Amino acid sequence: MAERERVSPQMRTAEILDFLRAVPGVFLTNNERDLSQSDYMCRIMPQTTLKVAPYRDATGYFAFEIFGGATVHMDLIKKQINPFEKLRLVRKAMPNTLIQGLCRGKNLFGYRPYPDNVVETTVRLFSQYIDVWRMYDFLNYIPNLVVAANAVKEAGKLLMPCICFSTGEGHTDDFYTKKVEEVLSLLGENIILCIKNHSALGSPARIASLVSSIRKRFPELLIAYHGHNTDGNDLARLVAAVQEGVKIVEVSDHGFGGSYSQAPALTAIQNLHDYGFQTPGLSVAPLLDASDVLRRERRLYEKFTGPFHGFDPTVKRHKLPGGALRIAMEQAENAGLLGRSHELFSELIQVRKELGNLWVVTPGSQILWATAMSNVLNGRYEKPVDDLKRLLLGRYGPFPFEKPPEWIYQKVLESGRTDGKKWNVILAEEGGLQDLADEDFKARRLMLESALKRPATKEELCMYLQFPRDALDFIKFEERFGKTWLLPPEVWFHKGGFADGTRISFADEAGKTHNIDLISTRKTADTVQTSLLVDYHFQTYKTKRGAQQ
Amino acid sequence: MFKKLLVANRGEIAIRIMRSAQELGIKTVAVYEETDKTSMHIMRADEAVCIGSGPRRDYLNIERIIQAAQMTQAEAIHPGYGFLAENPAFPKQCTEAGLVFVGPPPQVIIDMGSKVIARRVMAEAGIPSIPGTTVLPPGEEGKRLATAFAEKHRFPIMVKAVAGGGGRGIRVAQNMSELERYIEVGRSEAKMAFGNGDVYLEKGLTNPRHIEVQVLADGHGNVIHLGTRNCSIQRRHQKMIEIAPAFLPGDLSDRICETAVRAARACNYLSAGTVEFLLDQDDNYYFLEVNTRIQVEHTVTEVITGIDIVREQLLVAAGSTLSVTQEDVTFRGAAIELRITAEDPKSNFMPNPGMIEIYQSPGGHGTRMDGAVYQGYEIPRFYDSMLCKLTVYGFTWKEAVDRLRRSLDSFLIAGVKTTIPYYKQIVTDPDFINMDFDTSYIETHPKLLDYQEEVPPLGKLASLVAEINACGYNPYS
Repeated sequence: MAERERVSPQMRTAEILDFLRAVPGVFLTNNERDLSQSDYMCRIMPQTTLKVAPYRDATGYFAFEIFGGATVHMDLIKKQINPFEKLRLVRKAMPNTLIQGLCRGKNLFGYRPYPDNVVETTVRLFSQYIDVWRMYDFLNYIPNLVVAANAVKEAGKLLMPCICFSTGEGHTDDFYTKKVEEVLSLLGENIILCIKNHSALGSPARIASLVSSIRKRFPELLIAYHGHNTDGNDLARLVAAVQEGVKIVEVSDHGFGGSYSQAPALTAIQNLHDYGFQTPGLSVAPLLDASDVLRRERRLYEKFTGPFHGFDPTVKRHKLPGGALRIAMEQAENAGLLGRSHELFSELIQVRKELGNLWVVTPGSQILWATAMSNVLNGRYEKPVDDLKRLLLGRYGPFPFEKPPEWIYQKVLESGRTDGKKWNVILAEEGGLQDLADEDFKARRLMLESALKRPATKEELCMYLQFPRDALDFIKFEERFGKTWLLPPEVWFHKGGFADGTRISFADEAGKTHNIDLISTRKTADTVQTSLLVDYHFQTYKTKRGAQQ
Repeated sequence: MFKKLLVANRGEIAIRIMRSAQELGIKTVAVYEETDKTSMHIMRADEAVCIGSGPRRDYLNIERIIQAAQMTQAEAIHPGYGFLAENPAFPKQCTEAGLVFVGPPPQVIIDMGSKVIARRVMAEAGIPSIPGTTVLPPGEEGKRLATAFAEKHRFPIMVKAVAGGGGRGIRVAQNMSELERYIEVGRSEAKMAFGNGDVYLEKGLTNPRHIEVQVLADGHGNVIHLGTRNCSIQRRHQKMIEIAPAFLPGDLSDRICETAVRAARACNYLSAGTVEFLLDQDDNYYFLEVNTRIQVEHTVTEVITGIDIVREQLLVAAGSTLSVTQEDVTFRGAAIELRITAEDPKSNFMPNPGMIEIYQSPGGHGTRMDGAVYQGYEIPRFYDSMLCKLTVYGFTWKEAVDRLRRSLDSFLIAGVKTTIPYYKQIVTDPDFINMDFDTSYIETHPKLLDYQEEVPPLGKLASLVAEINACGYNPYS
């Protein structure tokens, strides 16, 4: 019977939507992507994900979010794994669960808009593995989602457009209901709407009110709730959301989360059951197994948990989402400003208000935080970052509420100009959304292939179109070192040399165990000579000292 | 039977001898030079005596070895191969000191050690030898003799040192000027190497096969053979691979073996010895020499006959008769033995001493290891570069080849370059698999050296581990 109680990747989009409408109860999505981003600076390694994959697959989640947001770029620069390969591995390890990805609309997985043909190609290629595309625009400017959304529909995948939620002036139920109307009008009705509460904002009552308003206006609409437990109160919010008709809520593993990521799945299930809601298709035993494994894994990532642990109820004021908050703290620490964090956050709050009470979500969160940092260090709006200029020019889309005051336009747009143009002239001449010309794939392929000195695959080109330098570096890295995702996280993040006799064991994709034994390390003035036994084959490697820097 | 045996050797053969002695309940004494004090044979013996600071000279010091035997109250001495094994002074002085020498008497060693006497003894017994000269007289007379020999038998002609052996002291002349030059050079080299500058000439055969017969003789008139071996795969006259039996056609094997027994009788042989023949392309065989010692390759014969040759040596030395008769000797299957040395085949087989960081030997049915090294052993640069012998047995030649390949694949010696990758090439070479080889095999198969140093599939990944180790952090994370 369990098979009938859960969706499967083999089901068509319409079947999934019909199933969700027909089956009473609530469904859960495990969001490791966001957990990794919010609690561990995006560092959860594929080996950890794959280690618990069988348990998560057996749990019966609606979906497993493992892709998108900052992960694509981080996969390339910090984990050295091809994002396509990661998805292939996850797909193979979790054959019964929908794989979900988060896309920033026109900004894809980056920080600026991409040409339409890059968006379309990227969505099409990743749709090999992604079943559910959760999609948002940080200005809630729904036209920015159209190109990517159409590509999702064309690929036959499930579209989950988001409305980003925040609080304060202008963020009314009426505003959001109109946004939903816009979503349905521009993207069609065969969707699941996602309320993206990226910064753990609002009380349970506020969320209940929002869901209720949307449901009243669109009673047939399937709604998912994406929340964060930054303030420790998301369980109450998600129960309130479900009480008002939300069908899918996002959770994390209790063995792994516990900070700015999603609320723990098990507690959510217990609460939902107590409130009389069923969770069809869910099995608790594998969920427990997954957390038992993850509890042991989390120590490997402790160094990425940032300077402050635990909950942060002040998120209601600064409104930074989990991942951005973690990185903001790290940047503040690196800049020696950790002791002035109160000042920084106060400035952030001020900047947000001045810039139109925007949603503090990528790339907006980065723009706001970088501006706040710069304001504290250099004086208010004295050294504006380029992306702030773009924001003011309307390159990302229009401001949803009030525009920033003129003095900010003046300071920011006139900053660094050598032509003496005034801000209003600049705005008139250069402002607004730009119609980006399609990328010349042929020319870009030639560039990539001449750098690689071999033909490039479609997937390599796709990564190169989004992150030219980092994608190229990654491809060269992989040619040099092979599939390094096979290495256990404790090796990947190892500090110091390895002691003689250290054994590194891991399984390859075929399940075959491999061993690398450290035999000896010999250091000379210029080189370090490491002798290893690689699957019982003796190898000596010479590394020039300082060569890596 | 004597109660204690001193083994006047080192390395794998010392251990090999000790094994048989220990099986007979004989206590063993190892001797060693200071420069060889970590050698494994010391660990395998019941007691050990340091005979000097070395290197190499003390293993050749008869007085010290006899002194060690007397000090430890050993009653017998086994010389192994190399060092003093074919020095007639050694058995002579052993006997004078009241010690049993495990091997033939001095006169046999003297006679067979002289190529010229050996050829004469064999000729008297009606055993064909390769046409050759007596010792070349010096000066013009020698030149005249050489010229006449060359005119009669044509080139190639081998210039051999009378006191040479084991491939040493041999040069092959292809024309008259080479011949004259090699005679001169050969004389001075032989004088330096063996203390005897006498040389003689032998007709060179084109790509002959090297066939030898293992013989055993006791002091009671029993002489038997243990069949043939093919030792054709040689590099610069040094054997690399030995096979038993030699797989000779028709009744050739029986004839050669019978000739070998006759040769042993002709020289009054005692103990274990080997009669070597060269077989030309028309299957004519010629007496080459008698090796008056246990040989490296004796293991292949043991494997196909089931007879412990060293045990027989010890029994004979103790005055017993051989424990087997010719009728008891049967041959079953095929055996191949490889000498695995610490040499770099790609650098002209240059010795490659160093630390054995990893040593994992193969095993399983039909695989015999005669080794003398261990993990952590620092191979001294003063001695023979042989690390171990790998002998495989197969019910058929093909099975033996398959087993050899499997054994080599699972053999891991790390820290020094070895001949294992080179042998891996040979064992997959069609000519070797089809047993199509002669003494020119190594020279005519230069591509065997074109192997890649093995890089494991995860070698790239391991290079990152090395980089993390070198940097103290992962620069790519």
